[in-house]
Amino acid sequence: MIKRFTIKDLALNVSIVLLMIFSFSCNKKLEITPEHAYGQAVAWNTMDDINSNFFAVYALFRATMATNNDYLLWGELRGGDFASVQRADLKAVIDGNLNAPFPQLDEMRDWRRFYAVINAANLFIERSPEVLKKDGRYTQALQLVDVAHMRCLRAWAYFMLVRIWGDVPLLTSSYEGQFPTVARTDKSLVLGFCEKELLSAMDYLPFYYGGSDPIQSGNYHNYDFSRFSTTIVGRLGAYGLLAHIAAWQGRYADVDVYAKFVMDYMSQGRLTYSTTADITASNGVFKGRGQVGSDNRMLLGFTLFWDHGETGTSGFGHIESWTLATPYVAKSVPDLYVPSDSITLMFNDPQDQRFRFDTVQTSVVDSTRRVVAQGKYIEPSTFFSATPMFTKIKVFTSGKTTDLFAVFGSNIMFSRMEEIALLRAEACAAIGNTTDALSILNGRRANRGEAGYDAKKDGDLIDAVFMERRRELLGEAWRWYDLVRYNKLKRTNPAFNKLIDQGGIYWPVSTAVMEANPLIKQNPYWEGK
Amino acid sequence: MSINNCLGHLRNLCLLLLLAGTVSDVNAQVSDSTKSDTASKAIRNSRIQKGIDPVIVRHLTQQPYISLQQMIKGNAAGLYVQEPNGEPGTEQFMYIRGLQTPLLSKKDLYAQQPAVYLDGIPMMPDNNMVFDIQPTDFNRIGPATNLLSVVEADNIESIKVLKDPAELAKLGPLAANGAIWITSKVPRPKRNDIFVNTYFGAAFNAPVTPVNAAYENSWRQPFYDKYGTLTNRLNIPTYLKDSTDASYYGPANWTDAYYKTTPVYSINAGAAVGNNPRANVRFSLNHTNSASGQDGSKFHRYGFSIVSDLKPFPWMTFTSLVTGSRLERDRDKNVRDRLAEVRYTPSLLSPLPPNKQYYQKYLNVFTAPGTGAIDNNIVNDIKALAAVNMSPIKQIKIVSQLSIAYNENIRDAFWPTFLLSGNNFTSNYFGFNQRIQLDNSISYPRRLNKDMNLEVEAGQSFRSDVQRYDYAYGYNTPSDYIKVRALKNDPDNGYPVYNFQYHYLATDKQKIAQSSLYGRLHYTYKDFLEAEALIRRDGASFIQPNLRWITEPMGNIKWDVEKSGLIKSAVLSSFVVRASYGVLGIPYNTDLYSQGPVYVTTGLTWPQDPTIPSFLGSGVAAHPYTQGWIGYGIDWQKAYKANLGVDLGFLKERLMITLDVYNNDNKNMLILLPAARELGYSGVYKNGMAINNKGLDATISFRAVQSKAVNWTSALNFNFNKNTLTALPDGLQSVIIGNRMLKVGAPADAFWVFENQGIYNSLSDIPTTSSGRRQTFYGGPLNPGDPKWRDVNGDGDINDKDKVLKGNALPKLNGGFSNDFSYKRYALNFMFHFAIGQKLLNQEISNRLNFVNNEGNADLNTVKEITYWQKDFTITDYPMYNPWSNVIPYQSGQDLFLQNASYVKLRSVSLSYDVLGKRKMGGISKFLVYVSGTNLFTISPFKNGDPELVNYLGNYTGYSQKIPKMAIVGARLSF
Repeated sequence: MIKRFTIKDLALNVSIVLLMIFSFSCNKKLEITPEHAYGQAVAWNTMDDINSNFFAVYALFRATMATNNDYLLWGELRGGDFASVQRADLKAVIDGNLNAPFPQLDEMRDWRRFYAVINAANLFIERSPEVLKKDGRYTQALQLVDVAHMRCLRAWAYFMLVRIWGDVPLLTSSYEGQFPTVARTDKSLVLGFCEKELLSAMDYLPFYYGGSDPIQSGNYHNYDFSRFSTTIVGRLGAYGLLAHIAAWQGRYADVDVYAKFVMDYMSQGRLTYSTTADITASNGVFKGRGQVGSDNRMLLGFTLFWDHGETGTSGFGHIESWTLATPYVAKSVPDLYVPSDSITLMFNDPQDQRFRFDTVQTSVVDSTRRVVAQGKYIEPSTFFSATPMFTKIKVFTSGKTTDLFAVFGSNIMFSRMEEIALLRAEACAAIGNTTDALSILNGRRANRGEAGYDAKKDGDLIDAVFMERRRELLGEAWRWYDLVRYNKLKRTNPAFNKLIDQGGIYWPVSTAVMEANPLIKQNPYWEGK
Repeated sequence: MSINNCLGHLRNLCLLLLLAGTVSDVNAQVSDSTKSDTASKAIRNSRIQKGIDPVIVRHLTQQPYISLQQMIKGNAAGLYVQEPNGEPGTEQFMYIRGLQTPLLSKKDLYAQQPAVYLDGIPMMPDNNMVFDIQPTDFNRIGPATNLLSVVEADNIESIKVLKDPAELAKLGPLAANGAIWITSKVPRPKRNDIFVNTYFGAAFNAPVTPVNAAYENSWRQPFYDKYGTLTNRLNIPTYLKDSTDASYYGPANWTDAYYKTTPVYSINAGAAVGNNPRANVRFSLNHTNSASGQDGSKFHRYGFSIVSDLKPFPWMTFTSLVTGSRLERDRDKNVRDRLAEVRYTPSLLSPLPPNKQYYQKYLNVFTAPGTGAIDNNIVNDIKALAAVNMSPIKQIKIVSQLSIAYNENIRDAFWPTFLLSGNNFTSNYFGFNQRIQLDNSISYPRRLNKDMNLEVEAGQSFRSDVQRYDYAYGYNTPSDYIKVRALKNDPDNGYPVYNFQYHYLATDKQKIAQSSLYGRLHYTYKDFLEAEALIRRDGASFIQPNLRWITEPMGNIKWDVEKSGLIKSAVLSSFVVRASYGVLGIPYNTDLYSQGPVYVTTGLTWPQDPTIPSFLGSGVAAHPYTQGWIGYGIDWQKAYKANLGVDLGFLKERLMITLDVYNNDNKNMLILLPAARELGYSGVYKNGMAINNKGLDATISFRAVQSKAVNWTSALNFNFNKNTLTALPDGLQSVIIGNRMLKVGAPADAFWVFENQGIYNSLSDIPTTSSGRRQTFYGGPLNPGDPKWRDVNGDGDINDKDKVLKGNALPKLNGGFSNDFSYKRYALNFMFHFAIGQKLLNQEISNRLNFVNNEGNADLNTVKEITYWQKDFTITDYPMYNPWSNVIPYQSGQDLFLQNASYVKLRSVSLSYDVLGKRKMGGISKFLVYVSGTNLFTISPFKNGDPELVNYLGNYTGYSQKIPKMAIVGARLSF
């Protein structure tokens, strides 16, 4: 029997099928919590979340410095004492061709990584209060210290941004999920913000963490002082930053005050000066936490610590990957070396422990055939080669002097007591406080075996201070910034004056930055260069 | 339990459908459609239609192909298979009807692979999570084996390439990129067979011209003479300096050790028991060995397969299939690949020497007794299917199927100290990918009246995928004899006693689930009109909860014009017109977007060392600043596919033509878009990109000669495809991502390069701007000896704004052309494969000419392999620039290196002889012998090698092994 087909049948069939489709689903089984990344809901609940978010800001900051060794590109190479034959990209930076089209230099012109630090710090400031309510282990006192800490890191990042790019956008909110385009803020306003932030954070910053400082005592984020040493920002670090911010603006009277605080309270912050041996030892100041024995030497800086598995096998983040060659590593010529002329010019004191010639020998042999008597900074045997090897910082793995496995363990030192003392000497010299300037300078010089300041030989006091900084801080990413401050003070070099006046002391920004934010224009100096 | 849950729903579903049937008409009669077909086949093909582009399986079984990609390459219109490497068992990629999304990273390549089904089991691809911890993507960590090499050609009944929305809609989102449908062989009814199929032969390569340092020096010298300063001249690389050094200046005979004719063989034997109508089974064992004849690379497969059909009741069939394979691979000894894995780059100043005596020393290190290398690459793959097909109540047909696909990937690598400047390396990888899928469907065919039939079908499926890997690597075990991480600890202080220097651990896991429901109406009018409507709901765990479910419709109509009697012609023997349109969600193969903003623990370091997880020993977590911001509202990507086809047969089907025109729009595609860098992110993930592929698929076959003794059939298939990026999120017109520019209206696979117009020989050649400034390159002045790049915007500075989009990486036209001749019991087949209209960027030559910047560079993209020592380019083909110039004159991003990569290849030739014909001899029912040659020659305008060997970005790097030629002799026996 054949039944006639009716629209009713069709409609019924269709509607039943549709009904079934829309009414059933295995929806619950689709609720899967991903395991390799975790979501907003669980990111700010417990003390453990606080810990991982807290240290992430440091990790991001460390990555900012270490990526492609950019901390050296920004601070050490341009106009500095290092030279390169093999690497055209490094040579371009040394020569100040910062726009050179080497792909390796793209990251150097991009400020994104600094803003990742800033964004993560902003986020911590905004969201850490949530945890106070959820986890009793997180106390208000600790949270205040953490927030103060974050404000220091943020100020530090902004200070670095201003040193490199001049005017930069100032963002003080995480804008979670939004991507506003923000124009550049005048550099003096940005630095003013940094100073204000640091000063207001100061009351919550202990001299050191994980000990018995009245502001923060007991374990800090699970660990005691032996874990942190002086490597995370405390009160002295914040004052050190303030001093540098003031110095960059030429406010040397303030530098004197801030730097003096650091020097006066260094023992409270458990910091000491370093001997030449401490500085040049493989297991010394530049290893890990910057400790020599139980003495702490890092005022500000970033650890890439072998013992914690935080030194990568790529070599990035370590100056050794560029400065060492055979016999230390399997490389015939180092990527960066210090030309012998520069060495001779810098190390002119016959008793300098860092590098000196044997003055007795020079009297008997031809002056070009000098004998290196002390070569802590420069490998003596390479001095007479075309590429003298810089060996001041030479940390293999966990502090070995040499290792076939060329994985390095040096930290990225931003400031240590010598650096801050010489900054104060610079300030004193600049404001005419010759007595203090001299006493600090001579103190530092004596510590390196040098004779006291001699105007006839060393010239102007300011020159002498900067020359001492040049010697002492070689390879610590200060040279370019020192040159800028020096030339701002002296204004004797017309070419450099032009750089200062036209904004050429600042870096060009990458096209990636400008493409993504139309409000950002190229630094005028680099326009069409 | 997920399965229980869904089964619960299924019960409801069945009841409802039964109800629907009851209400309308229980007495309607239908013909039993399953009667004619074997039940198991019906199940295994239940979700696809017959007919579209079947690959001619007969040809595959006479070729030493080891991967599915090789089998189907050039065999189906609309499918493009590219083998980026001739090394056997390495990953290969497929594209069905063009590029589905721009290839910006290897993850994009994984995301657009078609789904592959073996008898309805959706095969499980490898995870792409490993790329999160890899600083390079030359090879994935782990065995990096092509997981589609598990299929033994001899066990295949048919392969179909599915690309029409009419078919893909039934398979759902998994098949949004197209699908490959493999059906296994089943026993022939009423017969018992024992079969043995085997071949043996050799892989070999065309000779190359090896060169030594003298040759290298001779082409470099003119650069030194013309442009070199004294310092440059003093600074020539050490290995070129000493012409008495026999390792570099001695005879260039490394080829003797590198290229070796290597045996390949295969055997597949088993039995097919089909003479019991209620139960039949086919089982087989196979072993295959393949090789490339280069660098000792080999591939081994051991597999088994069991297919059985049971018919416990007349109305019920139970089908099961279990197939398993173990794949092993002996990998290349490439320096680049090893260093990428090791992540530690020792000095690269001295490349491998071209002299065999010295090269052999290097090779011996790998095999040294006790201290040699370990390089184990193992894949264990198992797939299982259990399916029930029943009609408990007359017309109602219920199909229920459980599929399991599981593979585990294992790699143990140990590189002795010699290979790594005195350091050794050890690593272990274990990863697994598991997929369980449950499919249920119920259908009810009804005869509406004498002309009309309507089938109602509803179905449901649930897929659950789990992927995980564990990876550990470390350096400097106590000695090369100790190849695992030493675990002995000093009891006093807990530190390892052995000086085991460093190790990293990484692990990752993800789970993905997808739930689907569909309803389908299939209407037929007489025997010439078919109409089908399908609507599906898909929900998946990889989409955020509020957007989780989508509805996707599909409509399809098929009109047999010839049968309808509209056209009557003596010439025309068949004429079918088809039209279909459908929408499918495109799945994400990651769960990263499923919960909005996330916090990650990887990528918070510098890019070269992505695995460092801590700061001062404390774990860290932050937003994915490097990977990009993932916000709320990341939605399904959708594929809108339209197809119009015609099947024509002439002269009693002697000439058959199938033409399909298609227009596929992928919309709402996700892309990492640059965003204001001041928020710290590398970009932000946004939906809204759209890409269009339109084109034509054609399959033409012609029986040119047909007689009792002599037959000749010629078959051509080709695809013409045009790819266009049609939209970017936020209405953007173009965006620059890395070295690529995506521009609306341009192909998504276009190269973005400078246009080279020659050389500036003197200062006066270099144009100046109106203000008198000499032309610059990114701000730096151009000098004599520098390239003349076109200043597109005329601003006097050559920079990103002067780059143009040129060429495309995927072919415009590709396909195959095959011919079958037979004379009595002899048969000859040959097949060409062609790909035309694509370009490549010749990075290899760019690297060679850019020797000044690459010498001693630690960049793994410029590592010199042993194959560097061959003559593969003519220096006079390129202008002579100043290689020391700051503008990097030989950088690869210019059209100087953009070269035509079109090719035609003679892919296979096979001659067979059927020894017995229709006779039988001593129980032998079939005995066929054959000789075959594979990949015999290539015609191409490209001069440096095989233009197919490019990476997914379209770069010819020169690091791939050549696709070997093979010659085999084989026999097929049945008892």
